[in-house]
Amino acid sequence: MADLDRPARSPRAAKWHIAIAGLLVGAGGALLGLQVDANGRFSGTGLTPLGIGALLALVASLSQVRSAGGLPRDGIGAFAALSAFLGLAFVVAGALAPGGPWMFFEVFLLFALMAARRRSAGEGPRWIGGATLVALGLMLLFRLWISYQGSEHRWQVLSIGIPVLSWIPLDFLEPIQSVSLGSFTPRELGFPPAGLSFAASMALWAVGFCLATCGIALAQGAALEHENDRIHDLIHTLPPPLAQLVERLLPEEEWQAFGLHGLPERRLAKRIEALASERFQRQREIQAAFQASALTALPPAGGFAGGIWQALSKPVAPVVDDPIAQPVAERATGEEDRG
Amino acid sequence: MVRLRTIVPVVDVLANPRSMAGLRVLLVAGSALLAVAVAVRAIPPARATLPQDVVEERPRLPEPMQLLARGSRLRAAELDRWVSEGHRAAFKASRQILFSLDGCPPLLDWIDGTEGQSTERLLADLRAGSREDALAALVLVFQIGRACKWSPGMLARTQNAERLGGLLQDWLRVWGEKGAKDPLLAQPALSAALVYGRVMRTAWKAPFFSYNRATYERASAFLSDLTGIPSGRRTDFGEALRARYARAAEKLLSPNDALLGLEEEAAVSFPDLIGTCP
Repeated sequence: MADLDRPARSPRAAKWHIAIAGLLVGAGGALLGLQVDANGRFSGTGLTPLGIGALLALVASLSQVRSAGGLPRDGIGAFAALSAFLGLAFVVAGALAPGGPWMFFEVFLLFALMAARRRSAGEGPRWIGGATLVALGLMLLFRLWISYQGSEHRWQVLSIGIPVLSWIPLDFLEPIQSVSLGSFTPRELGFPPAGLSFAASMALWAVGFCLATCGIALAQGAALEHENDRIHDLIHTLPPPLAQLVERLLPEEEWQAFGLHGLPERRLAKRIEALASERFQRQREIQAAFQASALTALPPAGGFAGGIWQALSKPVAPVVDDPIAQPVAERATGEEDRG
Repeated sequence: MVRLRTIVPVVDVLANPRSMAGLRVLLVAGSALLAVAVAVRAIPPARATLPQDVVEERPRLPEPMQLLARGSRLRAAELDRWVSEGHRAAFKASRQILFSLDGCPPLLDWIDGTEGQSTERLLADLRAGSREDALAALVLVFQIGRACKWSPGMLARTQNAERLGGLLQDWLRVWGEKGAKDPLLAQPALSAALVYGRVMRTAWKAPFFSYNRATYERASAFLSDLTGIPSGRRTDFGEALRARYARAAEKLLSPNDALLGLEEEAAVSFPDLIGTCP
């Protein structure tokens, strides 16, 4: 009933959440797209990683559209989808190594993760799953590590000193005193010519990653809520008693599983009509079956059968604001009085 | 107050959860931020600084690097008229002594003698003088390095090299950063750093087994302060060093041998400064 009291021009919470998600994703993306050189000057991290990120986000979005069904049906929904898409592109671009073989290895890994992702039934639209988020977090850590190595002018992932040999202070042994693992170049890391200021850049990237992932999560949840609001609005074009009956037959928690999200309005109305009819028919069948079984068999008082019988025969408390249940309850009371 | 009156209703509209205008503002700001987030990626990094010759107005001392090179004896007398009047006579005397010094005495022996002590006092005075005085002081220090023996030899006697390093370090401490953008001193200051690196590395590596750690740590700490390269905040001198001798500047970050790059460049630029009077 609270929704009915809402002024006609007041936006719902979901819309605010979507707008805030856009801000978070934008701010996070801007921070992830910047780096600071050794002289304190800002520069961009390049468009190549963003291109790769957009490609992966497109794959994720297509799989999401296919599995969750439907496209955004209004401007706010489209803004939520755009925010989530760009957010995923920014996060992937920020977490990937900026170039070279490491980047392609990580892209391959993310593709495999996204291809292996399975959505559970009833789950809302999700551009980014828990496993993917963990993988992206690990990739960001790896990127920070190699950036740190590069900022210290160590152009390999790891350098392991060989025991005994590395302890001998003789210059000519230097080439065989350690083994370098996973070498890379400043060009692969997209470093500015003056070198990278690791501390400032790391702070930018870490904050940007957090903002963008929070933005994606908010956009996902708010998009789901916004779609529910749209269905709710359509149902409430019915007369209030009928609208409440439909909402009892088709609870909001099941709308996603029913495939109502993303449907155009005309198809949505038809689908709700079919579902309500089907549910109501089933209710009546169950009622009839119950009444028939109640007349023929009286189970024993205890045990499993007795427990089931007690659960089925428990009297239903009348709902005060339920316009359908109330007349039935009143009628029953009147019959008792007459009796 | 007028401003406050203007701002308060705007804040009210934005903060009100029932305000459609506030939502629109947020959506527009979000869209703009998303566009900015894409655009900032295309910001190009600052170009690398390339070394440029700075031409000094006339009258000037042309090609000051010739005064530090092997042929410096051919032009050293030119400096007499550039040195401040108060130091001119002393400079002329020290110059004549140093450029005619024979026998390659050990540096410590010579500098602790009569002639050496007066030259050392003159060096301190010239360091505190004008830029021409500073150049004259550096010319004398380079000549000390050429005319005296400072190579540690088989017995690893590093005191001579460390003393020469001390003279160069004193000069760099005063004129390194100040001279980085000076047309007269820019190149000589970088050369002083190269030779300093070479001398100190020689002293560090002198023992046959193990190293002379104190010398190395003193030199690397001083160069770190002078250039600012290891800390990531380059000084003007550090910028100039990176622009002219990129490898030497990069090697300053090496945890094992920060002086290697300087020595390599010094070996190319000053092949005669090896500590054994060629």
